[in-house]
Amino acid sequence: MSDTVAQAPEKDRLFLLKVLGPTHVWALGVGIVLVGEYMGWNFSVAKGGALGSLIACWVIGLLYTCVAMIDSEVTSTVAAAGGQYTQAKHIIGPLMAFNVGLYLVMAYTMLEAADALVVGDLIHQIGVETGAVGLDPRAFVVLTIAFLAWLNYRGVLMTLTVNFLITAVAFVAIIVLFFGIQPWQEGQTIFHRELLTGLPYGWIGVVAALQFGMWYYLGIEGTCQAAEEVRSAGRSIPLGTMLGMITLLIAASLTWFVASGLLPWEYLGQSVVPLYDTARMTGSPFLQSLLFIGTLFAAIASANGCINDAARAWFSMGRDKYMPIWFGAVHPRYRTPFRSIVFLIPIAVSFAFTGLLDQVITFSILSGLLGYTFMSINVMKFRRSWPLGSIDRGYVHPFHPVPALMLLTLCLATYFATYLGYGAQLISILVFYIIASIWFALHRYRYVARGDQFTMAWPRPANY
Amino acid sequence: MAKIYQPPKQSRLGQFIDCVFLIAIVYGSLMLPLLFNFGNGEETPPPETAAAVQEATWESLGQNAVMQQQWEKLGFDPASAGEIINDRFDYTIEPWSLGITAAILIGYFIFVLTFSEKEYREVIDERFGKRQR
Amino acid sequence: MTIWSIATYVAWGISGLLLGWMLFDVIRVGQNYSESFLLSAREGEDELLHEAEEEEGRQ
Repeated sequence: MSDTVAQAPEKDRLFLLKVLGPTHVWALGVGIVLVGEYMGWNFSVAKGGALGSLIACWVIGLLYTCVAMIDSEVTSTVAAAGGQYTQAKHIIGPLMAFNVGLYLVMAYTMLEAADALVVGDLIHQIGVETGAVGLDPRAFVVLTIAFLAWLNYRGVLMTLTVNFLITAVAFVAIIVLFFGIQPWQEGQTIFHRELLTGLPYGWIGVVAALQFGMWYYLGIEGTCQAAEEVRSAGRSIPLGTMLGMITLLIAASLTWFVASGLLPWEYLGQSVVPLYDTARMTGSPFLQSLLFIGTLFAAIASANGCINDAARAWFSMGRDKYMPIWFGAVHPRYRTPFRSIVFLIPIAVSFAFTGLLDQVITFSILSGLLGYTFMSINVMKFRRSWPLGSIDRGYVHPFHPVPALMLLTLCLATYFATYLGYGAQLISILVFYIIASIWFALHRYRYVARGDQFTMAWPRPANY
Repeated sequence: MAKIYQPPKQSRLGQFIDCVFLIAIVYGSLMLPLLFNFGNGEETPPPETAAAVQEATWESLGQNAVMQQQWEKLGFDPASAGEIINDRFDYTIEPWSLGITAAILIGYFIFVLTFSEKEYREVIDERFGKRQR
Repeated sequence: MTIWSIATYVAWGISGLLLGWMLFDVIRVGQNYSESFLLSAREGEDELLHEAEEEEGRQ
């Protein structure tokens, strides 16, 4: 066995393989996020009622439109595996970059933990329904993460091809459910008139709902983690991301519509698997099995994409010695950041074992939110340091600085939303980043070469 | 040309210690609060509502006929549904805790941005040479 | 022993095998290749660029 590895052609340099196309970018982006329609978004219903959740879905949709526009512009000039981490390194500076790298790793690892938790929960539920006693869902949590990590370890092309297939099935399942319910028969198959109760907490509930409203889209910006492995990244990444955003807007609308028309909002607000529960209400065994498979596939696709993205961010930090350099290694045969993939497994597993879905999700959301806050600051400095025309941009977003300011405002509103009900988590994650930052500034940065961090062929930034 | 900073090579042991430290802060600041639940995500309902749940009817829970039908389809009776229905968030804003949270958040960003700025100037000077002033 | 408890043991078993294989492979790769080769990936450079440079060098 070891001979086959040793025989691999030993070139003088290793690289991640450039093998992906736009479909893989779509599969990575939507694959991570689509699970958000199968679980998690509905906690926004608990915080603001069903209508509050819909308003949050739209407002946060606006936030993500800003994210997509800003990110497309910066990514079309910075194509590297670290995504936003590499952007921060070139535009704002090392300590910010370290934090952004950690946001990425934590957002994706916590999401991965939430996905595995849902897989375990689903299988547990099936077990209970078929009469199993004392079934341990943790076995299936570990199996999910171990299998997907193994897939990631063995190569990115296979990983994302699998992701494309299972994501497509999960997306089609939502559409089939929508038509299967026959939503045009209001009052017979679907009951919005009787089940929608206005705003149970008033408008403050709508603001509070913004927190989990992020779950409809969280992670779509992860597409740019694949930049080093995509053929013609400047074209594929914006294309795959935009298609992904459209897919998600469709899926989010349909999901809200069917779930709020069949489930009382108080139940919906605490359900672990809301779309599956919606299918159960139809009484159709076909829809029920389809949505079970859809939920399972969506969760697996998401965990799969998260392992991919978290490992690439960790790898990029290792490569720059922001993290121990040991993690900067590429597998000589599979060309994957293999050490980073293995290192992050136990963290994901242990958080999945807590079983506290809404709280694990909150850690993921907050890390994402800190990242978006960074993006609004980042793009303003990017435009100032390299004004239009000074470097080659693949895409220029319109109305600058309006999207950046809007993004910043919406981020602040979402921090406030998190404070309402999950204030302790907000503090504990800030404490985590503050300790990590102090550690980096006082200890870790010593090992980082200074000028080498700037790898893009850009001119000197203005004002420096 | 600015003097080039030569970073020391980190030993295997040093790398290992750094990993252990990172894992320790992940668990210390994120996992411990979860396990001891001084978060406020899941609150136990105050005793008076718990008592009210005992003799709950669909009418007292404010559920109309369709809601009642859907709850029953999900396998709930008024008592078990009442626990979910009466579990409400408390959105009273305490100026103190809001102020402290905001201060930590803003302070964190100011710290990160100013420190980054200082480090960034070093990077640019080393990459492009010190600007003649 | 029900089908579910068998499934649980199988799940633990497969997980153990997969995790074990990855750990084994990480150690094996570390022993068979030099560290500087494994760490040779650079940001902003890639295979296509690298090949283009090699061809230019040959001409």
